[in-house]
This record gives sequence, structure tokens and C-alpha cells, in this order.
Amino acid sequence: MVGIGFRKDFADELLRSSVLTPAFIEVAPENWIGIGGYWKKQLKKALEKYPLYTHGLSLSIGSPDELDYDFLKKVKLFLKETNAQIYSEHLSYAKCDNAHLYDLLPIPFTEDAANHVAKRITTIQDLLEQKIAIEIVSYYSPIAPELSEIDFINLVLQEANCELLLDVNNVYVNSFNHQYDAKEFINALPLERVSYIHMAGHQQISDTLIIDTHGEPIIDPVFHLFEYATQQLGKDVPVLLERDFNIPEMEELQSEINRLHTIKQCALKKENYVAA
Amino acid sequence: MLLLEKTHQHQSALAIYCRTGHYKSIPGVNKKNITQYRSLVINIVDEMLKSAFPLVHNLLSTREWTLLIKDFFSNHPCSSPQVWYMPKELYQYLSSTKNHPLVEKYPFILELIWFEWLEVELYMMADQTVTHTSTGNIHANKLVLNPESQFQHFQYPVHLKSAKTITQADQANYYLTAHRVPETGSILFTDLSPALLYMLELLADEPHTFSQLNERICTDLDINFTEDIQSVTTDFIQKSLQSRLIIGFSIEH
Ligand SMILES: [Fe+2]
Repeated sequence: MVGIGFRKDFADELLRSSVLTPAFIEVAPENWIGIGGYWKKQLKKALEKYPLYTHGLSLSIGSPDELDYDFLKKVKLFLKETNAQIYSEHLSYAKCDNAHLYDLLPIPFTEDAANHVAKRITTIQDLLEQKIAIEIVSYYSPIAPELSEIDFINLVLQEANCELLLDVNNVYVNSFNHQYDAKEFINALPLERVSYIHMAGHQQISDTLIIDTHGEPIIDPVFHLFEYATQQLGKDVPVLLERDFNIPEMEELQSEINRLHTIKQCALKKENYVAA
Repeated sequence: MLLLEKTHQHQSALAIYCRTGHYKSIPGVNKKNITQYRSLVINIVDEMLKSAFPLVHNLLSTREWTLLIKDFFSNHPCSSPQVWYMPKELYQYLSSTKNHPLVEKYPFILELIWFEWLEVELYMMADQTVTHTSTGNIHANKLVLNPESQFQHFQYPVHLKSAKTITQADQANYYLTAHRVPETGSILFTDLSPALLYMLELLADEPHTFSQLNERICTDLDINFTEDIQSVTTDFIQKSLQSRLIIGFSIEH
């Protein structure tokens, strides 16, 4: 299954056209909760056509602030009303000292932060009465780190006993920006926890820095890393194509979806041969 | 509390830097790359407010606009997890700030901001329903107001004139309504006289027949009912039915 992020920029086209045929769509609940009028109708139409996956932006799991329980209740209701298949959020913080920043800031890689985040994920899972998938975010600088990135992530996943959203592009971006081997990084993750994969394009802005823009096509090395990851996973995990800016023709998006689908099918076939 | 104070402080330092641009040293950071976070955050604020406030953006110089958004984001802690409320928070910030230079320079700017926010809010807000039917006759059936509508009173004609041409001399009482068209979701504004607004206020309380409305405005506002008035109100009600400001007729039992 390969899905696509449901963006207002091309929602009408997606609903009209037969060119783009995602297996599911993904939205950020905060962009749709409590909304009526034109966009509510469009979301309703989309939900009649596609299963929904959700990917939150503002819950701010890594925040020092208290969890926003009112908001979490609204998320829970939204997930129920839309029959959402999955709820994922970011391993980052977007709110601090009672101010939202509407961006994903990196959490310090420390043991206390990992414990704090893991406890919050547990609370969220208890309140939502379901497991959530946590996404490793791209980051441009570590913040007062005491652990390596991989140790931090693994500590959180283990303590929270949650699922992992593997954003292959983010792993590529981070391995470039922080100079490590992306495949080794993937090998060190608890792959049995991966329940959802993200794929996207990025922008290299200097010799040493890539920014995770979701505004460009996926580059070949990221497709290759995806192939590697799916081979290692050895199971069928839903994949999402994220395209938030610079929206191309629908044909171009569909060809990216097709390529992801083909890579995944090949990886799974190989896996079956090995098993037989 | 599992989170150590020093970790909290480092997180606060990054968040404060993103909001204000004031950087307080954080151990282990890549100093060159950390600036990306400030740019990304400011870019999100800029894009969000530009798209909500095209008229305000057009009124202000580039320098004034940039100062406004930076000043707002530094000093106002945004409280909504939903980013589309940010424009409302800008209004709240500016209206609660004493002697803000932009409010001094453009006395109508708060109304302009509110006018633009009103459109966003009505466009986005949750559906409101009211029982009604679209078949009826204005002389026989009670009229039902569109529940997705708001009344507004301004002191400056921000809804009528280009913001750059508004002066102190324009100061007066302006009444208008904004409503969402159920079929398309688009927002329409209607400039009104106080008497017509009063008619709508009566409808907001409960459905009235056309003749009840005419009677009430004449007695309550002490107006002599003339043919001229009847033709103005007839025309207004018919146009309002067409535009869906009056959504239809009540269902009689
Ligand atoms: Fe992602």
C-alpha cells in the first residue's frame, strides 16, 4: 500500500482525477479538527474514497510542558469519526513554555528526556486506547546531547513500547547532516516496531546541510535506501509519499507512487523466496 | 518530574531563540545550522499571516510587516495547537498592546485585521445547522437567517475602501454582515443600514414573517412605513434570499 498526504493544494485535483490513485490518504488532525464548510465536504468525499492515516503536528510529545489533554481528547474523537487506521506523531517538540512554534524542534538526546518522552507516549497511548507510531524527525543540530541519536531513539521506543514511523528520507537527511551511515542506522533500529513508512523529497542547501522540505521529488539515493529498508523489514508496511510544497502534475506524483510500490513488491517477493 | 531542569532549560533556550532570535548558548549545537530553526519558524509565521491578511500585508511596507510578525511572535505565546488560529492571536496581541506604533499610525488597522480574520473564521468554522426549507413565499412564510453569519460594526470602512485610502475623515458607523454560502462555502459580505441590520437581528432571535419585520422596524425605530421603505425592505429580503444570508423559510406545522 502506498498512500499520499492529503493537501489542500491538490485535494480537488485528487478527488476529480483518475490519474492519482493512492491506496490511502494521510492528514494532520490539527488541520481538520473542528472544521466545517467547503473543506469538511472535501474531506468527507475523500474519506468515502480512501482509508485515512493520521500524522499529528502539534501534540508536542517532546515538550517540557504538560500534555494538552483537551487537544488530545479532540484528536481521539477525530480518529474515531474518521475511522483513522493509524495515529502517528513526531519525536520532537513543537511547544515550549506555553507557546506553540508550529515547527518540529529536536529534543536533547539525554536519558532524562528519553524517560520523559516515553512516559508521555505511554500516557497518550493509554488515553487514546491504541498504540501510536513515533516518527524520527530530521534535525539540523543536536541540542546538548549526552547520548547518540540511535541510543536516544531506542531508549524511547523500548520504554514507551510504541510503534515506529520510519521516515526513510529523514534518516537519509540526518545521515548526511550528521555524517553517519544510513544503513547502519536502520540496522540498529528495532525494525519489528515499524508500522508505517514515510518517503519524501528534500533540498540540499549547502555542502554540509540538507533541509527536509517535502517540496522536491524523491532522489534516487533515498529510493535506494527505501529498497534497503523494505528488504530488512521483510513485511508489508504501508508507505506514504509526502509532498507538501511545489506540487507537480498528478502524473509525476503517481509515478513516484508507482516506483515505491514496485520497489516494495520486489523486496517482498525476494523475502518470500528466501522464506520458501 | 523525569525531565531534568537543565534539559528543560536547553529546550527553552532553543524555543526562545526560534521565537525571538535571541540566542543563549546551548551546549553541543552546530552554531551555523541552528539558525535554520529560526528561519523555518519565522517563515511559517510569515506565510500563515500573509495568507490570512492579504490586505494588511498590502497596506504595510515590507519593513512594517516584518517588524509586526517578529514583534508578535516574540511577545505573544501562541496558545492554539491549530496553526490556522494564529491570525486571531495576532489580533488579540495587537488589540491588547497599549500604544502599538502600527495602531497609532493606522487607526483602522485593528478593524482591518478583524475584517480579514472574520473571513477566515467563517470559512473554516464548524457547520451550524438550522431547520428550514428553501421553498416558500416571503409574504406567507417566516424567514430564517443563515446561522453561519455574523454581524459587524466598524468605525472605518475597511470593507468598502482600499486600506491605503482610508483616512480619519472616513470615521463613521458602518454595519455589515458576513455569511457562508452553504453550497459553495464561500464568504460574502453585505454592507447594511442600521435599520436593515436591525431586521437581521430580529431574525437572529427567531424567524419572522416579512410583514412582522416591517412592523417591528417601524415601531421600534420610530419610522413611518412608506412605500419607499417597503420597496427597500422587499428588495433587501429578496437579495438576501438569493445570496443565502437568509437561508430560507421556517417549516410550519
Ligand atoms: Fe515524515
